[in-house]
Amino acid sequence: MKKSNRKVMVAILIMVIGVGFLIYRGLANTSVYYMTVAELKTSSLGLQLGANQAVRVGGLVIDGSTDYNQRDLVLRFSLKDESNPQLTIDALYKGAKPDAFEPDIEALLEGTYNREQNLFLAETLLVKCPSKYESDLNKKQEETK
Amino acid sequence: MIIFGTLSQFAALIFTLLAMGLLLAGLRRNNIRMVQAGKRGLISAAVATTLASVALGYLFLSDSFQVEYVASYSDRALPLFYKITAFWAGQKGSLLFWAWVLSVFIMMVIYNNRKEADDRSTPYVYLVMAATLGFFLFLLCAISSPFDTLDFLPRDGNGLNPMLQNPGMVFHPPLLFFGYIGFTVPFAYAIAAMITGNTGADWIRKTRAWNVLSWIFLSIGIILGGQWAYVELGWGGYWAWDPVENASFIPWLVSTAFIHTAIIQERRGIMKVWNLVLILLTFTLCIFGTYLVRSGVLQSVHDFGATGLGGYFLFFLAVVLIGGIYLLAESYGEFKTPGSVESYLSRESTFLFNNVILLALAFATLLGTVFPIISEAVTGNKITVGQPFFNQVNTPLFLLLVLLTGICPLIGWRKASIENLRRNFLRPAATALLSGIIMAFSGVREPYALLAFTLSAFVGATIIQEYVTAIRSRKKLTGESSASAALKLLWRMRRRYGGHIVHFGLAMMVVGIAASSAYKLEAQGTLKKGETLAIGDFVLQYENFRVFEKFNRTVYAAKLGVFKDGVRIDEMEAERRNYINAKQPTTEVAIRSTLLQDLYVTMPGIGRGDEITLKVAVNPLLIWIWFGSCLMVLGGILAIIPSRRKLA
Repeated sequence: MKKSNRKVMVAILIMVIGVGFLIYRGLANTSVYYMTVAELKTSSLGLQLGANQAVRVGGLVIDGSTDYNQRDLVLRFSLKDESNPQLTIDALYKGAKPDAFEPDIEALLEGTYNREQNLFLAETLLVKCPSKYESDLNKKQEETK
Repeated sequence: MIIFGTLSQFAALIFTLLAMGLLLAGLRRNNIRMVQAGKRGLISAAVATTLASVALGYLFLSDSFQVEYVASYSDRALPLFYKITAFWAGQKGSLLFWAWVLSVFIMMVIYNNRKEADDRSTPYVYLVMAATLGFFLFLLCAISSPFDTLDFLPRDGNGLNPMLQNPGMVFHPPLLFFGYIGFTVPFAYAIAAMITGNTGADWIRKTRAWNVLSWIFLSIGIILGGQWAYVELGWGGYWAWDPVENASFIPWLVSTAFIHTAIIQERRGIMKVWNLVLILLTFTLCIFGTYLVRSGVLQSVHDFGATGLGGYFLFFLAVVLIGGIYLLAESYGEFKTPGSVESYLSRESTFLFNNVILLALAFATLLGTVFPIISEAVTGNKITVGQPFFNQVNTPLFLLLVLLTGICPLIGWRKASIENLRRNFLRPAATALLSGIIMAFSGVREPYALLAFTLSAFVGATIIQEYVTAIRSRKKLTGESSASAALKLLWRMRRRYGGHIVHFGLAMMVVGIAASSAYKLEAQGTLKKGETLAIGDFVLQYENFRVFEKFNRTVYAAKLGVFKDGVRIDEMEAERRNYINAKQPTTEVAIRSTLLQDLYVTMPGIGRGDEITLKVAVNPLLIWIWFGSCLMVLGGILAIIPSRRKLA
């Protein structure tokens, strides 16, 4: 290998190592567990979770649980586990209610969980656009019958 | 029409399979006439696909709700314009649209090669593209046809999701598709080259041009997506590192890498294998992105749901990947060129470093996107990363990329002399330093933002220096006026200056991104009529409230006066809309854009007595992002306008 080639290779190697370090540090600093409501409440990993440790949790918004204060933009609702609907948590999100937010929708929250109060303080709230189409068509079919 | 559409789809599939058979046979027996017949088969397939698309379009326009797909994404009240765009609002229509665009690209390739005697490799190009088209047509015919009917006739359709009823949504998906699908062409050329062993000057020039074309489409698609998010979603941002966004960004990064190293291959005849790898990677990532979006394996705000198509895409991906690697291994010896980057102070080496960073960005973004899947497979627990990860990792990498963008044109090919470096670097570096110092003194303290501004100034100064020098020497040579020399240079050397314009646009974008993310102001408040809310230099006064009906929606609008220094300079109207067929009201963002800042207003709540709750943000220099991205696209277009000489 020519000398100049070696120099270029060394430079690339240094860059690759730097990138590796950046990614490693990024993962170490920012990654959070993703859990279902059931896992958060019952799994050993969920139970070990610290009160200040960020976690992402997914579940279904319980019909009738939503309380939205439009003045102060505070959204309270309860979330149930998709497969174990008796397992629920209460959630508090300070921010505008997303347009797509509605009962029975799948919501993803990121924040911290207070086990004593069964309250999830959500920093971010993502909702999936409702996949309402099929069910709605079926409903319409029943209506026309 | 339903039967016509279904039949056209089937006809297209049959034509495609026929064309593939003819091309294969023609190649094996070295029979030109069979290859020609195969080409005609492909043209017929394209016609049939077009007819199927026209049929679906007609079904939308005629409110044919017995078609399940039409009933799912349209209704009678939908404005005409959006009835057409509902075509690609869902999975099945997108597939048809995908097939149609691919058939258009096949036509373009056939047209592009019309004057050239078919060599051994062009039929392979057609064959690879036909196989890809065949895959999509198979999905359409056998798995997921948009012409499927309901066993009852609904009185009305479900309507289009209100969030998709926005002009940005009209062009964003098709352009993204054009980009994704366009990469089939370089991919087909790469496969053909690996089979025939031909990667000559003509090959790299063509492949690069197709790649740039797809890159332009993909860029516009991504930008429009960001713009749509900004004006429609109301959270005030344009990019959230959502898996679906990442799925389009990752191939963009890799194709950008290829566009750079392809130049090295053109000039020096080296890096052939690397370039093939980049092309294969780009296409693979496009398919992988489609898989991510369609399979439902990741949590995303873009909801396509688990559609049952994931497995097919995974299979296709495996074929592409294994086939690509196999062919590459087979032909490796043929393309291996003695490594000969002569100096680390050369343009070649800056391109190499640029590749390392682009691929690092692509890798980090990919890793972050699929991390939940990987971590679950390895540890059994799903671990996710979000925006903080991408910002933390990608920001320094991106800044390094901007630095290289500035350095690259200052360094000559092969080996730059120290003298040459000092002469070229002096002014841009001084400009950058000076603007950095001025900004630091005027209060820019955020390190990343300061760095971003300084580096962008560096890039801008580099490009301007290069352009001014070239204009001066042209004037000396030809005696033209400055304006004429400037324009002629731009046109005659459009590939080079197209590239410079892209880089200038990138620098503008970086300034916009840095300013709007580091110096964003936010405020919220609840107002009665006459009350005010202050943010930055602005005061908003709630002046009036009205309710009106329009097309398919009821609109609740609050008129706000915008005051600066006590003077009413403008007014804005924030809206909430109730679409018929939608359960929830939607927020309509009001934006007042100027060169310096965007005033961004949403109205998340309307209370009793017309009391409104406002969320307001000031996003500094945000419009620079859109200006910069426009420049990037225009530069790209300028660069690929073919020159007459080559056509003649």
